[in-house]
Amino acid sequence: MTNLEKLDKIFVEVFSCKEEELGPDFNKDNVGIWDSVHQLSLTSSIEDDFDIMLDVEDIIGCTSYEAVKEILAKYEIEL
Amino acid sequence: MANWTIKNVAFRGVTGTVPNHPVKTSDIPLFTQEEADTFDQTVGIRNRYWSSDDICTSDLCADAAERLITALGWEKQSIDVLLFVSVTPDYKTPPTSAILQDRLGLPNSTFVLDVPMGCCGFMYGINVAGNLLTAGTAKRALVLIGDTAARMGSKNDKSRLPLFGDSGLAIALEYDEAASDIFIDMNTSGDGYSALMTPHGGYRHPVTPESFVEEDFGHGIIRAPKDALINGMDVFAFAISKPVKSMKAILEEKGIDTEKDVDYFLIHQANKLIVDRIVKKLKLNPDKVPYNLQKFGNLGGASIPMIMCSEIAEDLQKRPLNLVASAFGLGLTWATMMFKTTPMTVLPLNLL
Repeated sequence: MTNLEKLDKIFVEVFSCKEEELGPDFNKDNVGIWDSVHQLSLTSSIEDDFDIMLDVEDIIGCTSYEAVKEILAKYEIEL
Repeated sequence: MANWTIKNVAFRGVTGTVPNHPVKTSDIPLFTQEEADTFDQTVGIRNRYWSSDDICTSDLCADAAERLITALGWEKQSIDVLLFVSVTPDYKTPPTSAILQDRLGLPNSTFVLDVPMGCCGFMYGINVAGNLLTAGTAKRALVLIGDTAARMGSKNDKSRLPLFGDSGLAIALEYDEAASDIFIDMNTSGDGYSALMTPHGGYRHPVTPESFVEEDFGHGIIRAPKDALINGMDVFAFAISKPVKSMKAILEEKGIDTEKDVDYFLIHQANKLIVDRIVKKLKLNPDKVPYNLQKFGNLGGASIPMIMCSEIAEDLQKRPLNLVASAFGLGLTWATMMFKTTPMTVLPLNLL
Protein backbone atom coordinates (compact mmCIF):
# COMPACT_ATOMS: atom_id res chain seq x y z
CA MET A 1 0.00 0.00 0.00
CA THR A 2 1.39 3.44 -0.85
CA ASN A 3 1.51 6.20 1.75
CA LEU A 4 -1.28 8.03 -0.05
CA GLU A 5 -3.46 4.92 -0.04
CA LYS A 6 -2.70 4.50 3.67
CA LEU A 7 -3.71 8.09 4.35
CA ASP A 8 -6.93 7.82 2.32
CA LYS A 9 -7.85 4.65 4.19
CA ILE A 10 -7.48 6.51 7.48
CA PHE A 11 -9.78 9.30 6.33
CA VAL A 12 -12.38 6.84 5.03
CA GLU A 13 -12.41 4.96 8.33
CA VAL A 14 -12.46 8.00 10.61
CA PHE A 15 -15.09 9.97 8.71
CA SER A 16 -17.06 7.04 7.23
CA CYS A 17 -16.77 8.70 3.82
CA LYS A 18 -15.96 7.49 0.29
CA GLU A 19 -12.49 7.83 -1.17
CA GLU A 20 -13.90 9.92 -4.03
CA GLU A 21 -14.93 12.60 -1.52
CA LEU A 22 -11.35 13.26 -0.45
CA GLY A 23 -9.92 16.40 -1.98
CA PRO A 24 -9.36 20.13 -1.49
CA ASP A 25 -12.86 20.69 -0.11
CA PHE A 26 -12.65 17.94 2.52
CA ASN A 27 -12.17 20.00 5.69
CA LYS A 28 -13.63 20.68 9.13
CA ASP A 29 -15.88 23.45 7.81
CA ASN A 30 -17.46 21.29 5.12
CA VAL A 31 -17.62 17.89 6.79
CA GLY A 32 -20.53 17.86 9.25
CA ILE A 33 -19.18 15.25 11.64
CA TRP A 34 -15.68 16.77 11.81
CA ASP A 35 -15.39 17.65 15.52
CA SER A 36 -12.57 17.45 18.05
CA VAL A 37 -13.23 13.76 18.73
CA HIS A 38 -12.95 12.87 15.03
CA GLN A 39 -9.89 15.06 14.62
CA LEU A 40 -8.25 13.30 17.56
CA SER A 41 -9.09 9.92 16.03
CA LEU A 42 -7.63 11.14 12.74
CA THR A 43 -4.35 12.30 14.27
CA SER A 44 -4.07 9.19 16.43
CA SER A 45 -4.46 6.94 13.39
CA ILE A 46 -1.92 9.02 11.46
CA GLU A 47 0.60 8.70 14.29
CA ASP A 48 0.05 4.95 14.55
CA ASP A 49 0.09 4.12 10.87
CA PHE A 50 2.99 6.38 9.93
CA ASP A 51 4.90 5.78 13.20
CA ILE A 52 5.35 9.46 14.01
CA MET A 53 4.63 11.70 17.04
CA LEU A 54 2.91 14.91 15.94
CA ASP A 55 3.67 18.19 17.69
CA VAL A 56 0.80 20.05 19.40
CA GLU A 57 0.60 22.64 16.64
CA ASP A 58 0.37 19.93 13.98
CA ILE A 59 -2.36 18.01 15.84
CA ILE A 60 -4.38 21.24 15.95
CA GLY A 61 -3.48 21.97 12.32
CA CYS A 62 -4.92 18.74 10.90
CA THR A 63 -8.13 20.49 9.87
CA SER A 64 -8.37 19.38 6.24
CA TYR A 65 -7.25 16.64 3.87
CA GLU A 66 -4.82 19.01 2.19
CA ALA A 67 -3.45 20.33 5.49
CA VAL A 68 -2.74 16.77 6.64
CA LYS A 69 -0.75 16.10 3.47
CA GLU A 70 1.33 19.24 4.07
CA ILE A 71 1.92 18.27 7.69
CA LEU A 72 3.03 14.76 6.76
CA ALA A 73 5.58 16.27 4.39
CA LYS A 74 7.13 18.04 7.41
CA TYR A 75 7.67 14.59 8.96
CA GLU A 76 9.28 13.42 5.73
CA ILE A 77 6.36 11.21 4.75
CA GLU A 78 6.27 11.16 0.97
CA LEU A 79 2.82 10.85 -0.57
CA MET B 1 13.97 23.59 35.95
CA ALA B 2 10.92 23.04 38.15
CA ASN B 3 11.35 19.70 39.76
CA TRP B 4 11.62 18.60 43.36
CA THR B 5 12.91 15.64 45.30
CA ILE B 6 10.98 15.71 48.56
CA LYS B 7 12.44 13.76 51.44
CA ASN B 8 10.99 12.53 54.72
CA VAL B 9 7.31 12.62 53.73
CA ALA B 10 5.12 9.53 53.83
CA PHE B 11 1.59 8.91 52.59
CA ARG B 12 -0.50 7.68 55.53
CA GLY B 13 -4.00 7.52 54.15
CA VAL B 14 -6.57 8.47 51.54
CA THR B 15 -10.31 8.41 51.14
CA GLY B 16 -13.03 10.21 49.22
CA THR B 17 -16.65 11.31 49.22
CA VAL B 18 -18.96 11.81 46.27
CA PRO B 19 -22.45 13.30 46.14
CA ASN B 20 -25.21 10.72 46.34
CA HIS B 21 -26.50 11.53 42.85
CA PRO B 22 -25.18 9.33 40.06
CA VAL B 23 -25.86 10.58 36.53
CA LYS B 24 -25.59 8.34 33.45
CA THR B 25 -24.81 9.98 30.12
CA SER B 26 -28.23 8.93 28.87
CA ASP B 27 -29.78 10.83 31.81
CA ILE B 28 -28.40 14.12 30.47
CA PRO B 29 -31.14 15.94 28.47
CA LEU B 30 -28.64 17.24 25.90
CA PHE B 31 -28.14 13.75 24.46
CA THR B 32 -30.27 11.40 22.44
CA GLN B 33 -29.81 7.76 23.40
CA GLU B 34 -27.68 7.22 20.28
CA GLU B 35 -25.49 10.22 21.08
CA ALA B 36 -25.13 9.05 24.67
CA ASP B 37 -24.02 5.59 23.52
CA THR B 38 -21.45 7.13 21.14
CA PHE B 39 -20.18 9.41 23.89
CA ASP B 40 -19.86 6.49 26.30
CA GLN B 41 -17.84 4.50 23.79
CA THR B 42 -15.52 7.24 22.57
CA VAL B 43 -15.01 9.37 25.67
CA GLY B 44 -15.40 6.46 28.08
CA ILE B 45 -17.48 8.24 30.74
CA ARG B 46 -20.66 6.30 31.46
CA ASN B 47 -21.43 7.65 34.91
CA ARG B 48 -20.53 10.61 37.08
CA TYR B 49 -21.76 12.01 40.41
CA TRP B 50 -23.17 15.55 40.50
CA SER B 51 -23.87 17.48 43.65
CA SER B 52 -27.01 19.49 44.28
CA ASP B 53 -26.66 23.25 44.70
CA ASP B 54 -26.53 22.99 48.48
CA ILE B 55 -23.41 20.81 48.52
CA CYS B 56 -20.00 22.38 48.01
CA THR B 57 -16.62 20.77 47.45
CA SER B 58 -15.70 21.67 51.01
CA ASP B 59 -18.60 19.55 52.28
CA LEU B 60 -17.35 16.52 50.36
CA CYS B 61 -13.77 17.11 51.53
CA ALA B 62 -14.80 17.69 55.15
CA ASP B 63 -16.64 14.38 55.18
CA ALA B 64 -13.60 12.57 53.78
CA ALA B 65 -11.26 14.36 56.19
CA GLU B 66 -13.26 13.54 59.33
CA ARG B 67 -13.39 9.87 58.43
CA LEU B 68 -9.69 9.73 57.62
CA ILE B 69 -8.61 11.52 60.79
CA THR B 70 -10.67 9.09 62.87
CA ALA B 71 -9.37 6.02 61.05
CA LEU B 72 -5.75 7.15 61.44
CA GLY B 73 -6.27 7.86 65.13
CA TRP B 74 -4.78 11.34 64.67
CA GLU B 75 -5.49 13.90 67.34
CA LYS B 76 -6.71 17.05 65.62
CA GLN B 77 -4.30 19.14 67.68
CA SER B 78 -1.43 17.29 65.96
CA ILE B 79 -2.34 18.47 62.43
CA ASP B 80 -0.07 21.28 61.26
CA VAL B 81 -1.06 21.89 57.63
CA LEU B 82 -4.35 21.98 55.76
CA LEU B 83 -4.47 22.52 52.02
CA PHE B 84 -7.68 22.92 50.03
CA VAL B 85 -6.90 22.10 46.41
CA SER B 86 -9.87 23.17 44.30
CA VAL B 87 -11.16 25.62 41.72
CA THR B 88 -14.65 25.53 43.29
CA PRO B 89 -14.19 27.29 46.64
CA ASP B 90 -17.03 28.20 48.98
CA TYR B 91 -16.45 31.92 48.27
CA LYS B 92 -14.12 34.11 46.22
CA THR B 93 -12.80 35.18 49.61
CA PRO B 94 -11.89 34.12 52.25
CA PRO B 95 -9.85 30.97 51.52
CA THR B 96 -11.94 27.85 52.00
CA SER B 97 -9.03 26.21 53.82
CA ALA B 98 -9.56 28.69 56.65
CA ILE B 99 -13.24 27.81 56.86
CA LEU B 100 -12.32 24.11 56.89
CA GLN B 101 -9.82 24.67 59.73
CA ASP B 102 -12.73 25.78 61.84
CA ARG B 103 -15.20 23.16 60.58
CA LEU B 104 -12.79 20.34 61.26
CA GLY B 105 -11.83 21.66 64.69
CA LEU B 106 -8.15 21.95 63.84
CA PRO B 107 -5.94 24.12 66.06
CA ASN B 108 -5.46 27.83 65.43
CA SER B 109 -1.81 27.04 64.77
CA THR B 110 -2.76 25.22 61.53
CA PHE B 111 -1.14 26.54 58.35
CA VAL B 112 -3.87 26.79 55.72
CA LEU B 113 -3.66 27.42 52.00
CA ASP B 114 -6.00 27.26 48.99
CA VAL B 115 -4.39 25.82 45.87
CA PRO B 116 -6.60 26.45 42.81
CA MET B 117 -4.67 24.42 40.24
CA GLY B 118 -7.26 22.27 38.51
CA CYS B 119 -6.37 18.91 37.11
CA CYS B 120 -2.74 19.02 38.30
CA GLY B 121 -4.02 19.74 41.79
CA PHE B 122 -2.84 16.46 43.30
CA MET B 123 0.77 17.13 42.30
CA TYR B 124 0.56 20.77 43.41
CA GLY B 125 -0.97 19.71 46.72
CA ILE B 126 1.62 17.04 47.44
CA ASN B 127 4.42 19.36 46.30
CA VAL B 128 3.38 22.18 48.63
CA ALA B 129 2.46 19.98 51.58
CA GLY B 130 5.54 17.83 51.10
CA ASN B 131 7.87 20.80 51.07
CA LEU B 132 6.18 22.17 54.20
CA LEU B 133 6.80 18.88 56.02
CA THR B 134 10.21 17.87 54.69
CA ALA B 135 12.26 19.79 57.27
CA GLY B 136 10.33 18.23 60.13
CA THR B 137 9.22 21.41 61.83
CA ALA B 138 5.68 20.59 60.72
CA LYS B 139 4.76 16.93 61.06
CA ARG B 140 1.27 16.24 59.70
CA ALA B 141 -0.68 17.55 56.74
CA LEU B 142 -4.11 17.06 55.29
CA VAL B 143 -4.43 17.69 51.57
CA LEU B 144 -8.10 18.04 50.64
CA ILE B 145 -8.73 17.91 46.91
CA GLY B 146 -11.96 18.15 44.99
CA ASP B 147 -14.34 20.07 42.79
CA THR B 148 -17.96 20.49 41.87
CA ALA B 149 -16.83 21.14 38.33
CA ALA B 150 -20.06 20.29 36.53
CA ARG B 151 -21.66 23.44 37.97
CA MET B 152 -18.85 25.65 36.67
CA GLY B 153 -20.15 25.41 33.13
CA SER B 154 -23.35 25.79 31.18
CA LYS B 155 -26.05 23.09 31.35
CA ASN B 156 -26.36 23.61 27.59
CA ASP B 157 -22.70 23.02 26.70
CA LYS B 158 -22.43 19.55 25.20
CA SER B 159 -18.65 19.87 24.90
CA ARG B 160 -18.15 20.26 28.64
CA LEU B 161 -21.09 19.28 30.82
CA PRO B 162 -20.89 15.50 30.45
CA LEU B 163 -17.13 15.32 31.07
CA PHE B 164 -16.94 16.26 34.72
CA GLY B 165 -17.89 14.61 37.98
CA ASP B 166 -17.85 15.92 41.55
CA SER B 167 -15.87 14.61 44.51
CA GLY B 168 -13.86 15.49 47.62
CA LEU B 169 -10.74 13.53 48.57
CA ALA B 170 -8.60 13.65 51.71
CA ILE B 171 -4.94 12.63 51.75
CA ALA B 172 -2.89 12.41 54.94
CA LEU B 173 0.88 13.04 54.83
CA GLU B 174 3.35 12.73 57.70
CA TYR B 175 6.99 13.54 58.36
CA ASP B 176 8.92 10.27 58.37
CA GLU B 177 12.69 10.03 57.99
CA ALA B 178 12.31 6.49 56.67
CA ALA B 179 10.04 7.59 53.81
CA SER B 180 11.16 7.16 50.21
CA ASP B 181 11.74 10.29 48.13
CA ILE B 182 8.88 11.85 46.21
CA PHE B 183 9.97 13.25 42.83
CA ILE B 184 7.79 15.83 41.11
CA ASP B 185 8.37 17.53 37.78
CA MET B 186 6.10 20.45 36.92
CA ASN B 187 5.61 22.54 33.79
CA THR B 188 3.57 25.50 32.61
CA SER B 189 2.55 26.82 29.22
CA GLY B 190 0.57 29.98 29.94
CA ASP B 191 0.17 30.81 26.28
CA GLY B 192 -2.51 28.11 26.28
CA TYR B 193 -4.49 29.55 29.19
CA SER B 194 -7.60 30.28 27.14
CA ALA B 195 -8.17 26.61 26.30
CA LEU B 196 -9.59 25.98 29.79
CA MET B 197 -11.01 29.06 31.45
CA THR B 198 -13.96 30.95 32.87
CA PRO B 199 -13.97 34.26 30.97
CA HIS B 200 -16.08 36.40 33.32
CA GLY B 201 -16.14 36.61 37.11
CA GLY B 202 -12.59 37.59 37.89
CA TYR B 203 -11.26 41.11 37.77
CA ARG B 204 -10.24 41.10 34.11
CA HIS B 205 -13.97 40.84 33.23
CA PRO B 206 -16.16 41.34 36.30
CA VAL B 207 -19.70 39.96 36.27
CA THR B 208 -22.15 42.21 34.40
CA PRO B 209 -25.54 41.46 32.79
CA GLU B 210 -23.56 40.61 29.64
CA SER B 211 -21.94 37.72 31.53
CA PHE B 212 -25.23 35.82 31.49
CA VAL B 213 -26.00 36.18 27.78
CA GLU B 214 -25.74 32.77 26.13
CA GLU B 215 -24.21 32.32 22.69
CA ASP B 216 -24.58 29.33 20.38
CA PHE B 217 -21.11 28.31 19.13
CA GLY B 218 -22.43 25.36 17.11
CA HIS B 219 -21.84 21.63 17.64
CA GLY B 220 -24.08 21.73 20.73
CA ILE B 221 -21.99 24.34 22.53
CA ILE B 222 -24.18 27.01 24.13
CA ARG B 223 -22.71 29.02 26.95
CA ALA B 224 -22.38 32.47 28.49
CA PRO B 225 -19.17 34.28 29.46
CA LYS B 226 -19.74 33.39 33.12
CA ASP B 227 -19.52 29.69 32.24
CA ALA B 228 -16.32 27.65 32.25
CA LEU B 229 -15.26 26.60 28.78
CA ILE B 230 -13.08 23.90 27.29
CA ASN B 231 -11.56 24.22 23.85
CA GLY B 232 -11.61 20.50 23.11
CA MET B 233 -9.12 20.32 20.27
CA ASP B 234 -6.51 22.53 21.91
CA VAL B 235 -6.78 20.58 25.15
CA PHE B 236 -6.64 17.20 23.43
CA ALA B 237 -3.63 18.19 21.35
CA PHE B 238 -1.83 19.46 24.44
CA ALA B 239 -2.76 16.47 26.61
CA ILE B 240 -1.49 13.82 24.22
CA SER B 241 1.81 15.54 23.49
CA LYS B 242 3.43 17.68 26.18
CA PRO B 243 2.76 15.43 29.23
CA VAL B 244 3.86 12.39 27.24
CA LYS B 245 7.15 13.99 26.22
CA SER B 246 7.83 15.08 29.80
CA MET B 247 7.05 11.71 31.30
CA LYS B 248 9.15 9.91 28.67
CA ALA B 249 12.10 12.20 29.38
CA ILE B 250 11.86 11.69 33.13
CA LEU B 251 11.53 7.92 32.91
CA GLU B 252 14.60 7.82 30.68
CA GLU B 253 16.56 10.22 32.88
CA LYS B 254 15.80 8.17 35.99
CA GLY B 255 16.50 4.89 34.19
CA ILE B 256 13.05 3.54 35.02
CA ASP B 257 12.03 0.25 33.44
CA THR B 258 8.28 0.71 33.08
CA GLU B 259 7.67 -3.03 33.32
CA LYS B 260 9.96 -3.91 36.23
CA ASP B 261 10.20 -0.74 38.31
CA VAL B 262 6.62 0.52 38.40
CA ASP B 263 3.56 -1.14 39.90
CA TYR B 264 0.98 1.32 38.59
CA PHE B 265 0.77 4.35 36.33
CA LEU B 266 -1.88 6.74 37.61
CA ILE B 267 -2.92 8.90 34.69
CA HIS B 268 -5.31 11.80 35.02
CA GLN B 269 -8.69 10.51 33.88
CA ALA B 270 -9.62 13.23 31.40
CA ASN B 271 -11.14 11.09 28.72
CA LYS B 272 -10.52 7.64 27.32
CA LEU B 273 -9.12 8.87 24.01
CA ILE B 274 -6.47 10.87 25.82
CA VAL B 275 -5.52 8.22 28.38
CA ASP B 276 -5.41 5.44 25.76
CA ARG B 277 -3.21 7.64 23.60
CA ILE B 278 -0.78 8.33 26.44
CA VAL B 279 -0.59 4.63 27.29
CA LYS B 280 0.10 3.77 23.67
CA LYS B 281 2.70 6.49 23.10
CA LEU B 282 4.63 5.50 26.21
CA LYS B 283 4.18 1.78 25.47
CA LEU B 284 2.86 1.16 28.98
CA ASN B 285 1.52 -2.22 30.04
CA PRO B 286 -2.28 -1.67 30.15
CA ASP B 287 -2.51 -3.95 33.20
CA LYS B 288 -0.53 -1.33 35.10
CA VAL B 289 -2.85 1.56 34.15
CA PRO B 290 -6.04 1.54 36.23
CA TYR B 291 -9.07 3.45 34.93
CA ASN B 292 -12.03 4.84 36.82
CA LEU B 293 -13.16 7.33 34.21
CA GLN B 294 -16.19 5.27 33.36
CA LYS B 295 -17.51 5.52 36.93
CA PHE B 296 -16.63 9.07 37.96
CA GLY B 297 -15.84 11.17 34.89
CA ASN B 298 -13.11 13.80 35.00
CA LEU B 299 -12.60 14.69 38.67
CA GLY B 300 -9.95 17.33 38.07
CA GLY B 301 -7.23 17.33 40.71
CA ALA B 302 -9.02 14.57 42.62
CA SER B 303 -8.75 12.17 39.69
CA ILE B 304 -5.48 10.53 40.72
CA PRO B 305 -6.21 10.10 44.45
CA MET B 306 -9.63 8.71 43.47
CA ILE B 307 -7.89 6.03 41.37
CA MET B 308 -5.92 5.17 44.52
CA CYS B 309 -9.22 4.74 46.42
CA SER B 310 -11.37 3.09 43.82
CA GLU B 311 -8.96 0.89 41.86
CA ILE B 312 -5.84 0.00 43.88
CA ALA B 313 -7.06 0.29 47.46
CA GLU B 314 -6.30 -3.30 48.34
CA ASP B 315 -2.73 -3.13 47.05
CA LEU B 316 -2.13 0.21 48.77
CA GLN B 317 -3.21 -1.31 52.08
CA LYS B 318 -1.26 -4.55 51.76
CA ARG B 319 2.12 -3.91 50.14
CA PRO B 320 4.67 -1.24 49.19
CA LEU B 321 3.98 0.22 45.76
CA ASN B 322 6.07 2.13 43.22
CA LEU B 323 3.82 4.61 41.49
CA VAL B 324 4.15 7.09 38.65
CA ALA B 325 1.44 9.73 38.22
CA SER B 326 0.80 12.03 35.28
CA ALA B 327 -1.62 14.96 35.22
CA PHE B 328 -2.37 17.86 32.88
CA GLY B 329 -4.87 20.66 32.87
CA LEU B 330 -5.68 24.29 33.19
CA GLY B 331 -2.95 26.87 32.95
CA LEU B 332 -1.93 25.01 30.90
CA THR B 333 0.06 22.92 33.35
CA TRP B 334 1.36 19.38 33.40
CA ALA B 335 3.23 17.31 35.94
CA THR B 336 4.78 13.92 36.56
CA MET B 337 5.22 12.47 40.05
CA MET B 338 7.10 9.38 41.13
CA PHE B 339 6.41 8.13 44.64
CA LYS B 340 6.54 5.01 46.73
CA THR B 341 3.95 4.04 49.30
CA THR B 342 4.13 1.65 52.23
CA PRO B 343 0.92 0.01 53.48
CA MET B 344 -1.46 2.85 54.22
CA THR B 345 -5.04 3.45 55.30
CA VAL B 346 -7.50 3.52 52.42
CA LEU B 347 -11.14 3.91 53.42
CA PRO B 348 -14.11 3.05 51.21
CA LEU B 349 -15.79 5.93 49.43
CA ASN B 350 -18.73 7.63 51.08
CA LEU B 351 -21.85 9.02 49.42
CA LEU B 352 -23.08 12.37 50.72
